[in-house]
Amino acid sequence: MLDVRENILARLVAIVATMPSIKNVYRNNVDLTEDQLPAAAVLDGDEETGDHTDASMRPSNRPTLATMTPEIIIFKIAPQVGPDISTLRRELIKLVVYDTQLNQQIVKTGRFGNGAIRYLGCQTDLGWERSMFGALKANFLFKYALKPDDLL
Amino acid sequence: MIDYSVLLYDPVYAEIGVSAMLTTTAGVFEITVIDDTRAKAQTSNTVEVRSVGPGAFARIPELTSKGVGRADYISSVLSFNGRMWVVRSYELRGSPNGEDVGEVRFLLRSDDA
Repeated sequence: MLDVRENILARLVAIVATMPSIKNVYRNNVDLTEDQLPAAAVLDGDEETGDHTDASMRPSNRPTLATMTPEIIIFKIAPQVGPDISTLRRELIKLVVYDTQLNQQIVKTGRFGNGAIRYLGCQTDLGWERSMFGALKANFLFKYALKPDDLL
Repeated sequence: MIDYSVLLYDPVYAEIGVSAMLTTTAGVFEITVIDDTRAKAQTSNTVEVRSVGPGAFARIPELTSKGVGRADYISSVLSFNGRMWVVRSYELRGSPNGEDVGEVRFLLRSDDA
C-alpha cells in the first residue's frame, strides 16, 4: 500500500519532532496541558481533487491529482512569547519545504514528479494563562498523485 | 446603612484569606488576599491547551489604608501561598457601599513559565 496522504502526515510528525525547541509533538491530539508545552500538533488536513469538473470518459480508477492542506500548530507559554513563536515559525517552514524525503520520495516535487509543496501562511492566537500563551497555526499545501491501485 | 466591609468582607477574609506580601514602587506591604486562581483554557483551531489563570482578591480599604493606590497595582509583585506573581491587570469589584470600599481582583502572571 502506498498512501501518499498518510505518508505525508507521518513525515510531518517526524520533521516537527526534530525541532530543538519543541518538547512534544502530537498528531490530532486536541487536548493539551501547559506542562506539555512547548508543543506542536499536526492536524490531518482536508483533501481535494479537481475531479468534480471532470465529466470525461476517464475510468474512475485512473490516477488523479490530489491536494491536501494539513495544519501544524505550535504552542508555547512564556513571558515574551512573540519572539519565541517567530523562531519556531522560521524553523518549521524551512524544515518542511526543504525536507528531502518529502520532496523526493513522498510528494515528488520538481524533477522527481508533478507534486508540489507550498507554505500557505499562518494565523496566530494569543491569550493569558499562567503566563502569555501563544499559538501559531501554519498551513501547508501538498499536491500529489492519487493512484487508486496503490491504496489496495 | 449596612456596612458590607464589616459584615461581609472582613469575616470572609478572616476565614479564607491568606497573608500576602505586595511589593510596589512605594514599598512592601503585608495584606490579606483570597486566592482566586482558576482553571483556564485557550483554544486554537480545535486544540485546547489547559492551564490556570492566576488571580487574587484584595480589599480596597485595606490597600488604601496602607497607601497603595490604583496607580500602584500594575507591575507590583504579589506573593502568597508559596508563589510569586506579577500583577498584569486588575478588575474593580464594587460593593453596595461604593467601589472605594469594595474589592479588587488582581490578574496575575508568572515570569517563570
